[in-house]
Amino acid sequence: MKRHLLGALSLAVLLAASACGAGGSEPSAARGVSVDAGDWASVLAQAKGQTVSWHMYGGDDALNTFVNGYVADRLKTYGVRLNQVKITDTADAINAVLGEQQAGRTTGGSVDAIWVNGENFGTGVQAGLWSCGWPSKLPNAKYVDLSAPAVANDFGVPVNDCESVWQQAGSALVYDSAKLQDADVASVSSLLAWAARNPGRFTYPAPPDFTGSMAVRTILYDTIGGARSLAGAFDAKAYAPAARRLWTRLNGAEKTLWRRGSTYPQSQGQVEKLYASGEISAYFTYGPGAVGDQVAKKVFPATTREAVLAGGNIANSSFIGVPANAAHRAAALVLANVLLEPATQLELYRAEGTYPGIDLTRVPPDVRARFAAVPVSPSVLPLERLRVDAQPELASGYVTRLEKDWTANVLQR
Amino acid sequence: MSLPRRLRILLLLAPALTVVAVFFGAGVVQAVAQSLGYQPYLEGWRWSTDGYVALWDDPAVRASFALTARVSLLSTVLAAVLGVALALLLRRLGRGRRWAAGLLQADLAVPHLVGALCMLLLLGQSGLLSRIAHGVGLTATPADFPGLTADGFGVAVVAEYVWKETPFIAVVALGALGRATAELEGAAAVLGARPWQRMRHVTLPLLVPAVSAGSVLVLAFTAGSYEVPLLLGRPFPATLPVVAYQLYRDTDLTARPEAMAVAVVISALSLAVVAAYVALVARLARRAV
Amino acid sequence: MRLLAAVAVVAALLPLVPLAIWSVSDAWPYPSLLPPSTTTRGLSLLVAPRTGAVHALALSLGIGAAVSVLAVLIGLPAGRAVGLYRFRGRRLVQLALLAPVIVPGLAVVLGLQVFFVRYGLSGTVPGVVLVQLVPTVPYAATVLGAGFANLDVDHERVARTLGAGPVRTTWSVTLPLLRPTIVAAALFCFLISWSEYVLTLLVGAGRVQTLPLQLFAAIGATDTTLAAALALLVVVPPLLAVLACSRVLSGRSAAGIGLGRL
Repeated sequence: MKRHLLGALSLAVLLAASACGAGGSEPSAARGVSVDAGDWASVLAQAKGQTVSWHMYGGDDALNTFVNGYVADRLKTYGVRLNQVKITDTADAINAVLGEQQAGRTTGGSVDAIWVNGENFGTGVQAGLWSCGWPSKLPNAKYVDLSAPAVANDFGVPVNDCESVWQQAGSALVYDSAKLQDADVASVSSLLAWAARNPGRFTYPAPPDFTGSMAVRTILYDTIGGARSLAGAFDAKAYAPAARRLWTRLNGAEKTLWRRGSTYPQSQGQVEKLYASGEISAYFTYGPGAVGDQVAKKVFPATTREAVLAGGNIANSSFIGVPANAAHRAAALVLANVLLEPATQLELYRAEGTYPGIDLTRVPPDVRARFAAVPVSPSVLPLERLRVDAQPELASGYVTRLEKDWTANVLQR
Repeated sequence: MSLPRRLRILLLLAPALTVVAVFFGAGVVQAVAQSLGYQPYLEGWRWSTDGYVALWDDPAVRASFALTARVSLLSTVLAAVLGVALALLLRRLGRGRRWAAGLLQADLAVPHLVGALCMLLLLGQSGLLSRIAHGVGLTATPADFPGLTADGFGVAVVAEYVWKETPFIAVVALGALGRATAELEGAAAVLGARPWQRMRHVTLPLLVPAVSAGSVLVLAFTAGSYEVPLLLGRPFPATLPVVAYQLYRDTDLTARPEAMAVAVVISALSLAVVAAYVALVARLARRAV
Repeated sequence: MRLLAAVAVVAALLPLVPLAIWSVSDAWPYPSLLPPSTTTRGLSLLVAPRTGAVHALALSLGIGAAVSVLAVLIGLPAGRAVGLYRFRGRRLVQLALLAPVIVPGLAVVLGLQVFFVRYGLSGTVPGVVLVQLVPTVPYAATVLGAGFANLDVDHERVARTLGAGPVRTTWSVTLPLLRPTIVAAALFCFLISWSEYVLTLLVGAGRVQTLPLQLFAAIGATDTTLAAALALLVVVPPLLAVLACSRVLSGRSAAGIGLGRL
């Protein structure tokens, strides 16, 4: 008899736990700004004493030092405390906000700001996650060319004033000049030819890793002669033949890659570790500026150099997005504004070699001069060389599809 | 005031059973429901078996079954055999025995995540063993050393599990080998049994219950571990828990039922292992009587 | 025999050797057998505020203490019921208590995650403590159940006959008799909580940065020195705890089960 009572008790608890609070979800529309960015004085007043939880990729030591040092100090002068939440994949932060939205938490969200771009921004737009209308009203927005294609479009998705630009990235190939000659790093074809002569010394991380995805797109651009044929939103008819040629090329080159292409590193961190230990001699990166730091720490060999492959330089912008349900929206706006300060962008460039998100023609001439005066490690390409022949990113629909198909056509082959 | 006996038992059990019901029971029920399409707080969901169809069609999941079974079974068998051998060895030691026992207990305290890093630094192609091989002239470059980490078989994964679980089985076996065992073995020796016969008919049967209980726990753990195969294995094939989590993190919400379906399969398989073990123990107990 | 013992010792210690070396080496290029120079960079990074290791250490210690105390408190009455009483459904209860130890926690918590978010527990320390009760409470209950089964109830009976109330009896007679089992249960619950990664990741949503999360991130980054130093930090508290309770673990007590979770 008591066993049945136990059973009934458990069942009751189970049902209660499962069914509790199963009301309908809130309509998922993009929310307006309850903190009016136009009234900056009130934003500052609200932000005072708040803590902003900034979810961002945490695998870059130099960037973490910059964020927890310079940026945190700047925020302190406004009475805002910075809580950097290191994540390995921006999709985690998007999922967290998505989960909160689905569970009905429309205010008091745990994520205040996300360093985001690309597919993750697109996913947020589709789900109505972002707080919009504030980036153009920031005081420091005057330094940004909001109409520039790199700022107004994020992987083909219109930004629509839903995220504030922070930095721009360009891809580059990092290589050991003791093992590769200038001719080997002139183009994707010459790189793959070098890999054929020196098997096992080149690889890229498995998509959907952000850099791995870029590596695949770089090879795609080279295969189909640029991004022009795939411009605009996802077009299945244009995609299919291009993808077929790409898989043929990638599978053909597989045996010349690390571990004979039987597997790929799980992340960009693993790829850099392979380079540091000398197991590979070249890799793609979105952060060419950070290489100087690694060479200085003697983690990378002193013969490390960078190259921009012909037709294979992909540039994109990355932004700060604020979820609509963020608990500390005012503090997040202050953070985005601080990141747009010319002094902050200069400091970022000094620390990371990262191309500024602001328009340098709009900053005072003395600041521009200070940018030019920053010493650059011999292992790092100067900014002008990094921007040569920069290609735009594909629309995020292509990116997602490429990642899925790579897994099916290359990894699982 | 003395409560009626049944009520007292119920009250004593209530807190623990509530935790189990709310977090474990409801979790399994939710996994089943969400694998069949239930999406709490989301409008427009419908019941369907799409999750299981996707699971069956997914090459990542199919390959995962074989890998998970291979890695967990091999680790369990190796850990059981080596653990028993280690326990018997420790019993034979006179001096230095407490020292060795302390070493065993220290190894138990090392978390698996640290063990995974240790294996990366030891077995990797630029790890310590590879450097020793280079030093004695066996290899010339990192690539010459066999790929033990991020390999298709799971060598480094099995190595980490065996390194961590062998001392565990040894501790369990040592616990079962008490003073009574020594007396029984002594009696058998007096009766003329040779060492091998003593081992086979006295020692090992006394060990079987405890070691098999420990092995079931090791099997369940190695099959359900997430961070060790993630760090030491390949993106494809990956073990079942890794696949489940990756599907769960997919921003495409249609992958969610498939993730839950994998979770349900994992739960069902582990419960089946427990049921089989309990049935086996019951049968052995009946035979022993 | 001595040779076999030596082989066993080497096998036990060998994986820790490169870890220890990396934690104090600056750059250790292949194929050197020893690093060209040693450095305290890794160890000093551990205490640097921007690494967040000290904060993670405090968090892990706090969560571990809370989880082990709660698990033992919840497991004590359940252990008493299962260990001392014979009742219908006892086997079922034992199985119900064992199942969460066998079924991987990830499979169980994936379905619950949306509720953690709904009730505001996602990304909070109390949420992480709650989810870590899933592997620890059943474990504590099973261990304590075995302890109660070995308990001689006569001691309690005598105390009651002498006039002690139930609370006094429990406090002065039962608990002291059970001390080794309670210590063992608390120790193992602490160790399980200390090493827990994927459940903390899932429910903590990356915001509750315990030491295992920090270590995992460091292993994926390029700085092996920092990862090795962090790993040493992760090993020290459990090692100290185990050594402090080593007599309890000497194999005789029923607490030997379930260490495979660690």
